[in-house]
Amino acid sequence: MSEIWVLVDTSQDKIRNVTYEVLSAAAKLKEKNGATVAAVYVGHSGAGIEGDLSKYGADKIYKIENPSLKDFNPSSYAHVLSEVINKHNPDIILAGNTLQNQDFLPRVASRTSAGLTLDAIDIDISSSSTLQVKRYRYSGKSISTISYHDVKPMIATVRPNAFKAVENAGAGEAVNESIDVPADESLKILDTKIIPKERPELTEADKIVSGGRGMGDGDSFKLIYDIADSVGAAAGASRAAVDSGFVPYEMQVGQTGKVVSPNLYVAVGISGSVQHYAGMGSSKVIVAINKDPDAPIFQKCDYGICGDLFEVLPALTEEFKKLG
Amino acid sequence: MKILVIVRQTPDTEAKIQANASGNGIETSDMKWILNPFDEFAVEEAVQIKEALGSELVILTVGPERSVEALRTALAMGGDSSIHIRDENFGDMDSFALAKVIASKIKSMGDVDLILAGKKWIDEESGQVVIQVAEELGIPQATLATRVAVDEGARKVKVQSEIEGGQRIVELAFPALITCERGLNEPRYASLPGIMKAKKKPLEEVLIDSINLEEIGLTQEGLGVGGSRMKVDNIDIPVITRSLNIIKGEKADTVEAEEVQKASENLAKLLREEAKIL
Repeated sequence: MSEIWVLVDTSQDKIRNVTYEVLSAAAKLKEKNGATVAAVYVGHSGAGIEGDLSKYGADKIYKIENPSLKDFNPSSYAHVLSEVINKHNPDIILAGNTLQNQDFLPRVASRTSAGLTLDAIDIDISSSSTLQVKRYRYSGKSISTISYHDVKPMIATVRPNAFKAVENAGAGEAVNESIDVPADESLKILDTKIIPKERPELTEADKIVSGGRGMGDGDSFKLIYDIADSVGAAAGASRAAVDSGFVPYEMQVGQTGKVVSPNLYVAVGISGSVQHYAGMGSSKVIVAINKDPDAPIFQKCDYGICGDLFEVLPALTEEFKKLG
Repeated sequence: MKILVIVRQTPDTEAKIQANASGNGIETSDMKWILNPFDEFAVEEAVQIKEALGSELVILTVGPERSVEALRTALAMGGDSSIHIRDENFGDMDSFALAKVIASKIKSMGDVDLILAGKKWIDEESGQVVIQVAEELGIPQATLATRVAVDEGARKVKVQSEIEGGQRIVELAFPALITCERGLNEPRYASLPGIMKAKKKPLEEVLIDSINLEEIGLTQEGLGVGGSRMKVDNIDIPVITRSLNIIKGEKADTVEAEEVQKASENLAKLLREEAKIL
């Protein structure tokens, strides 16, 4: 029986939400081709992950545990996953579009002669059981529909928030695989620092509030953090704000920053350049706060307040808190 | 030490993207092309290493005739020579074929110690190809570099990278591949003398037909649409109609005084009741 694999992504040994979203995407494909949905864990210790994975539709759970997989080495991970693929020949492999997966799945695709697309926003199977994915190209400026041709496995990473995680019980039959990890002298991990985040990651956030040049300085971003925290949103920035040194580059949203598609994007003091829009234009609802009535952002938003952000933000934060 | 930077020519970030007549590519007439913005960080880093250590710096690209402009920009920033793998049907090659073609050229050079590239190509919106180049060459990679420190004597490079939720430092043995993130450096502008000099720097043109495809596991067909593992069926330009519900002031455009409070209440209410988002 053909299998659809879903790679399990963890963060500090906890399964990331995107894995459940991808399991739900796999369930959608299963309805069409009747395949078995298998979650695949590659890492140093996947103790106790079965329960949650089967709750979201995993019929089977492959576990490849090895102490030398504790720190992520793209070549080692590619080696391990490629070995299991060669053994079980899955038709389709889906995974969250995380940095780690973007880092090693291209190697897996080369090793297993697979087809690979990154950052899919929708997935389907055509009548000829070919995988068909939709993804953005040219930042948010175009959506391409891409199909796989005479190639197996068909691998795709899926953008966080593109699918909703839906509970759906699966059998969760565990299959342990043991794969040797060859020593790799060419890459040594010297130091790993996890920086505790006060707010959600931009690329996974359901809501984002971003500040632009209009914030005037870095201290004023406190207003952005306050309103973001009132609704559990991530905090972002325009390139102008980053280039002016208000906030670090990690916060930049846009064509040369992070490309995001939350349900709510609030642009504060951001004029709305083509490049910024290319990074957030696919957001479901866009809100703009700007004192310039001619700011381009007012031509491409759903709601807006034309006013001084230093007056509007505190008032709006209070209103958001009331909705709590 | 020899450094190679893989660059790509992409549409300008300002460019309007439209589907072409056949619907599976973009309209490129009147398109303004630039050096992929993330490649600028790779070129700048390579030039800085070269200036510090006296290395040789080669710039490589695959693409049609126009791509030579991207090479010239990188040469003007400080590259020594360039390689243009010329393919007029360039858009038809998938990432596997591209990676194999690039890797085969690097392999044939035999003496490249360090390969740099941008973290992604803004046209494909992906950094897949260069990682596949590293795989084809059997060398280690560090992606999303925010700091790079070369130890030429030990033939090693330390790289600080962005990872999920933090950062890490890895040490790669030569030859190695690094993709560059914004924040790594401030790319210099190509100066006028630099641009003049760039025109005289060596440019090796490799015609795609001259590559022994069989040797690298490709077929002539594999280079074109027919042999592609991945095919673009169509391109849509998303048009999202926005409701443009902007709250303005009574007298001025901007909300003033007590209007601020009312506007905030209204907006919160709209987001809850109409957009159902809060």
